Amino acid sequence: MEARKSLIKIKPKRYKNGDVVKVSFMVMHPMETGSRKDKKTKKLIPAKYINSVKFNYNGKEITTMKVWESLSVNPVFTTYMKVDGKGKLKVTYTDNTGEVNEKSKKIKPKG
Amino acid sequence: MQRRNFLKNVGVALAASAVIPAVSFAGGTGKDANKMSYKTALSAITGGKTPKASAKVHLKAPEIAENGAVVPVTVNVDSPMTANDYVKAIHILNTKNGNARTIDVFLTPANGKAMFSTRIKLGGTQDVVALVELSNGDYLIASQSVKVTIGGCG
Repeated sequence: MEARKSLIKIKPKRYKNGDVVKVSFMVMHPMETGSRKDKKTKKLIPAKYINSVKFNYNGKEITTMKVWESLSVNPVFTTYMKVDGKGKLKVTYTDNTGEVNEKSKKIKPKG
Repeated sequence: MQRRNFLKNVGVALAASAVIPAVSFAGGTGKDANKMSYKTALSAITGGKTPKASAKVHLKAPEIAENGAVVPVTVNVDSPMTANDYVKAIHILNTKNGNARTIDVFLTPANGKAMFSTRIKLGGTQDVVALVELSNGDYLIASQSVKVTIGGCG
């Protein structure tokens, strides 16, 4: 399992239970469509792109995404999330070559 | 000795030719089967239902994209996001890339707000379309034309 650089950002940084916060997941990934030709060899660069992203909050799958090949390199996925208790937000993502990775962030509501 | 080697080599050659590559380099039929035209994508998602144009869907994409490789797209839908009334899915489609499907985002009331934002590749000037599925089974739609000067698909 290759470790990829990724980041989960929550805005605002301070939140209470009941708040709806913005969640961004960013990951370094080439997102090759499979339609691009290597300029030197003239051969098609094989497709390698994230094809699924799942957000799990304290054991509940709150958002899932089916990703096709035209998302930009180093993709960003931004949604919102209702804060409902202390715990963990886990993002699991897979790519079309079978690579599976995950990234977690602690959820710590104040007050 | 020679006969044995010959038979062995034939055996190896036959075994090798029997292996069918799972991924063809030229983007063969397996992968092309996943590429949909805009019309096909629309009916694949709605099951033939006609989506309604709606002011509740706020699609934000640049009118002119400086770089087709990184086009920011944001979709916001007015919705209470309660168990009885929420946005089930936001599908982002395009009209002129090799595959009209870009991303399908499945939301739940736990999202609190019906919003999704990302950056996409556009191969040339075309429309970006937000197709929204509501919990009551309705489909809403909004589109934005994006002029692309430098195509982003390679």
